[in-house]
Amino acid sequence: MAGIPKTQQVSQVERGSVDRSGWSRQPDCRRQPTSRRRTWSWRLAGLTCLLMLLNGGGAVAERLDELPLDRWKELREVERYQLNIAEKYYREKNWKVALAEYEKFLTLYERSVGAPYGQLKWSLCQVQLRKLNTAIKEGFQSVIDYWPESPEAIAAAYYIGQSYKDMGEVRKAKTAYQAVLDEHPQHLAAALAAVDFVDLTMIDDDIKKRLELWKLLTFEMPRTRESQRACETASRSLAAYDFEFAAFDEGVAALATTYSEPQLPTQVVSVVRAPLGRLVADDKRRLQGEKLADQTAAWLQAQAPAAGTTDEAKQAARQHGYLVADVRTAAREAEQVAETYEQILSKLGNDDETLGRYAAWLRSNSQFAEARRQYARFTDAIEGQRLIGDSFRQEQNYDAAISAYQANLARDVENGARWHEQIAATYRSAKKYNEAIAVYEQLLKSDPQQTEKWLWATATTYRDAGKYKEAIGYYRQCNNFPNNYSEMAACHRAMKDYQEAIILYGQIVGGAPNSAAWAMLQIGHTQEQAGNKELAIKAFQQVCKSYPKASYASQAHAHLQNKYKITVTLGGGTDK
Amino acid sequence: MQKPPSTVPTPPRWAYLLTAVYSLVWLAAWASWLWVPWERMWLVALQTITFACALPVASGWLLWCWRGANPSRVNRFLSATGAYVLLWQLALFSAGHLAWSAAASLLGRLGTVGLFLIGLSWTIWAIDRAGQRRELARRLAHAEQRPLEAMPTHDAGADAAARTSDPLDPQAWYYGRHNAKLNQSITALGAYSIAFVLIVLFFSQLGGCRDLYEMPAGGGQQQQLAQTVKVQKIIKKKFVVNPFSAISFKVPPIDEVKLQLTEITEHAYTVGYGAGAGAGFAGGSKQGKVRFIRLEYAGGDWDQDFGIGADVNMLVEYGVRTSQKVAERTESRTIAQLKSFPAEKSPPMVYLTGQRNISLSDSEIKVLREYLLEKHGMIFGDNGGSGHFHNQFLGMMRRVLPNVRPTRIPLDDTIHRIPYQLPFLPYVAPHGGKDALGWRVDGRLVCYYHPGDIGDAWTDDHSGVAPEVYEACYQLGTNIIFYAHTEYSKWLASRKRNK
Repeated sequence: MAGIPKTQQVSQVERGSVDRSGWSRQPDCRRQPTSRRRTWSWRLAGLTCLLMLLNGGGAVAERLDELPLDRWKELREVERYQLNIAEKYYREKNWKVALAEYEKFLTLYERSVGAPYGQLKWSLCQVQLRKLNTAIKEGFQSVIDYWPESPEAIAAAYYIGQSYKDMGEVRKAKTAYQAVLDEHPQHLAAALAAVDFVDLTMIDDDIKKRLELWKLLTFEMPRTRESQRACETASRSLAAYDFEFAAFDEGVAALATTYSEPQLPTQVVSVVRAPLGRLVADDKRRLQGEKLADQTAAWLQAQAPAAGTTDEAKQAARQHGYLVADVRTAAREAEQVAETYEQILSKLGNDDETLGRYAAWLRSNSQFAEARRQYARFTDAIEGQRLIGDSFRQEQNYDAAISAYQANLARDVENGARWHEQIAATYRSAKKYNEAIAVYEQLLKSDPQQTEKWLWATATTYRDAGKYKEAIGYYRQCNNFPNNYSEMAACHRAMKDYQEAIILYGQIVGGAPNSAAWAMLQIGHTQEQAGNKELAIKAFQQVCKSYPKASYASQAHAHLQNKYKITVTLGGGTDK
Repeated sequence: MQKPPSTVPTPPRWAYLLTAVYSLVWLAAWASWLWVPWERMWLVALQTITFACALPVASGWLLWCWRGANPSRVNRFLSATGAYVLLWQLALFSAGHLAWSAAASLLGRLGTVGLFLIGLSWTIWAIDRAGQRRELARRLAHAEQRPLEAMPTHDAGADAAARTSDPLDPQAWYYGRHNAKLNQSITALGAYSIAFVLIVLFFSQLGGCRDLYEMPAGGGQQQQLAQTVKVQKIIKKKFVVNPFSAISFKVPPIDEVKLQLTEITEHAYTVGYGAGAGAGFAGGSKQGKVRFIRLEYAGGDWDQDFGIGADVNMLVEYGVRTSQKVAERTESRTIAQLKSFPAEKSPPMVYLTGQRNISLSDSEIKVLREYLLEKHGMIFGDNGGSGHFHNQFLGMMRRVLPNVRPTRIPLDDTIHRIPYQLPFLPYVAPHGGKDALGWRVDGRLVCYYHPGDIGDAWTDDHSGVAPEVYEACYQLGTNIIFYAHTEYSKWLASRKRNK
């Protein structure tokens, strides 16, 4: 069999690891007692039934790289055992070991029902090890040649296309995908092939083929748990294309294949927004955009729920109104947006959500005063006041924002910490650091449960204020190593206290392996700032030598070459 | 104080004759240096002698004209101009042959600027002199007609009557009534600049027309190099097989295999492509060599480590490892020059590196596209030191080949297998990640991008990387050069068949 060296075939025999009953004598797995085996079989049978029920009675594996449960059942105990070992390493992404285990399985159980599956997974391991040519020629093609009737042969045909695509062999990939689509049009592999093929049509802008594939996925492909996502994406793409080229009804029909009646209007609006935005932004196609907006709004009106007096009916009507407003917003029809919100409010009464949406739209159009007028109408006065404060902050009217938050502080005493935090944040935005620090210090006393948060905020505020000593004092009290150490080191550097900074970076190197490369690079820069040229060079070289795979090694290497004209950077590595 | 009489005599007649002959020889040598693509020992020797003779010739004339018995200003500056041209070209020739590429490039640019300024000075002098002569002639003619009015007064009516269309005359009607001299100077400057640029362009294009790339003739196989194997001990293996085992088991006839490999495997084939004798490529020529050409581009540091460092080492290593003929030194070409190579004599591969910006014009992009697709070329990109260059390179390729996407090149791709099997991708620093990217057109890699400064591993100090890494970098470089030349050779063969 292709891909299986003979040395591997004898290796099992050499070690004498196969006995009479066919149990592999692996060091970590001794022969199991019969009772345990039976229990395991029962568990497997139970699991099979459960999964069959979940799948609606179908026993077909949904994923291409999984063995169906009914075929697992057909395997002998020893085969199952070996395959499980290989699967374990495959799941752990230990590709080299998994490859060897699949190879062992194929060597030992060449005539097993699981052999095509083993060969397929062997090939997938080769793909992961970036040996795509080997995977195609010795793996996937072998599955097709030796087990042409197996389900894995269809999967292998798809994977050949995918491997060619990953290698940049566009023409071969297209041929392979087309073969899957022609020969197994209802299979999951065909759905995946169609998705990949669509991606290939993007390269040469073959819109005709793309449309054909989208239609295939949308209207003809059977929807299973695995293919659902591909079909859904295709239907949305097809709808977006139809909307952009004045085929509104076709677009809705495409979406209707995926979404049922209650979700459909929401999905139509979510898809129509992007093409609508593009159309109205283009002066030549603006009229087309306006027409699309009118068409969508009219369609939404036709889909509007029957008027009612119950809360549910009102809520449904509001949601519908929001969709119309969203369409008008996307079409940049400001007057109609305002009109729509006013209609919702007048017909269905004041509602915080409607007011909030209306005000958010006003804020996005820089109509802050009008937005605040809407917030003032909130039933939940505290939330309205918060939003008023936020709008003042957005406008950079910090005093007014603080007044708004302070009004909430008086109203909502229980959540005092929340409003104090907002006030402190506003002071920081206004660069009134002393006032912000005073508020944080008050929070440290009044809200001990969040001490860590307030310590960090106080330290950061001191740092922003340029009071590095005080900042270091607060950072030192924080427990979020190594972030606090890096901030402390930065403060020391700002104070030109380089030795302290280097000590702190050194502690990061020793105590936080994930940040070690960065910290070592910072040691280099700090030594450079301190004027210790030789020590800086050593530190940069250390980054290249100790962490050659890190992106910081790249920075250190370039810095050594550009600043010091040193070519011996001591880095170098491999992608192993 | 009276000036002492000069001890240097005036130049004899034979000096003029000899100089005229030398000028012709010099022009021939200069033309052959610029436009003859092949290098023969005798030709180089002749060029060297001719250019070297410039020193005594220039010195002699400078001495005669500056220290001679009857020195005139014109002769002085004329001799200085001639000496400048001769010595500038001598310096350029020397820098080129000593492989001081950066110096040659600088000399070329500075020298051109100098030539422009000298030419401009002569142009202004000539125009001024011609203008004075015409003015004098006009006054003389006027004095003959009306002697009293020949006084230097400004008479608008007389000026208008004297206006001509001669561009050397400041009184020409198109220079206007006011600031006629200034307008004449500006016009002369503009005309001279345009003429200079056109001449430079003409010479550069003329030179490019004759730029040829010829691969070394020969043949070989596109195969992986045999691994060195040395069997030290033959162990007789015994197998105990349970005949009642439930496992389908087939004992391989390993005992029948007689392991007698007691010597190190040697190369059993030649690295090359085609049926010719010796290591080389079908479609190559006897004088052909594998050359390492670096691509010059604007905006960044195309010449990073250029010269005697990395590129030369790689070229030498390639020659040693493949036994193919390689050039003595590396070269560089601008993208515009790439256009000048004819279709079947263009470089199979050009090397592009740097760490800053890549700024290419639309026409340069077009030249690169034509080079890759129509001339069957290949770009070997190497990230010389930044993530920024990675984005710049990808952006450039997006413009050159908008319909081709970069993909990760598999480890078992031909370019990573032949002649050396690479078990991993080596790098000096992961500036652009750890994956080699490739742009493939009709199955052929038209661009190979190395993300981690492979050029630094080729330098004399190998940037201090581990021996297995720099050895792998040389192997990868060899594979890429070989791949490009093999693909080019295949293309030449297919074109020949189609003809």
